[in-house]
Amino acid sequence: MAERLANRLKDRRGELGLTQAELAEKVGVTRKTVNTVENGVFTPSATLAIKLARELGLSVEQLFWIER
Amino acid sequence: MNGRSIAERAEYLSKRRARMLPVLAVIFLSQQATFFLQMAAPGPHSAERAKIGAWLVLSVILLAALASKGFWLQPREVRDLIDDENTRANRNEAMRWGFLFAMGSAIAVYVLTMFDTVSGREAVHIIMTFGLAAALIRWGLLERRAYKDG
Repeated sequence: MAERLANRLKDRRGELGLTQAELAEKVGVTRKTVNTVENGVFTPSATLAIKLARELGLSVEQLFWIER
Repeated sequence: MNGRSIAERAEYLSKRRARMLPVLAVIFLSQQATFFLQMAAPGPHSAERAKIGAWLVLSVILLAALASKGFWLQPREVRDLIDDENTRANRNEAMRWGFLFAMGSAIAVYVLTMFDTVSGREAVHIIMTFGLAAALIRWGLLERRAYKDG
């Protein structure tokens, strides 16, 4: 069965009152990249996952998990 | 555009590129159609050379845009931001498609030569056309999909 990387990026971003553009600027990518990660279209690199988790005040494991 | 931040400029240019890529592919393909129509009814020698020169210039520009960050006249910060990891992944996927279509076209041309005469110039046109157009269309579709639900 296929595995996919799920995340709670959108929820956490909403809790902190951040827009996609603001989060993107903080981690040094375009809004498009944040959008694709949020929608599960794009699997981020370990570097970007760590940066996103740090900015959102979570661990990588809290922000991302594998769904079967 | 001068009052915009680096992120806003990158967003604007990236969206514009997503819209332009399929348009460029159509322009490129229509230029090839002109070439093959002209092969059937050749015009003056100088006019042919000018058209082939224009095709070559456009091909090189498109190839450079596919293989590099593009937006050569923009500041480095903007270019670096536009070329973030999602863009690089999309571009790599587009290049993969371009390569596969170019190889498929080369095989098709090879088979065609068993039944008909194909000049070297025609073969290069066919292979480059399918390779570049496939890569441009694929990249454009991936970039447009990346902006959905945003």
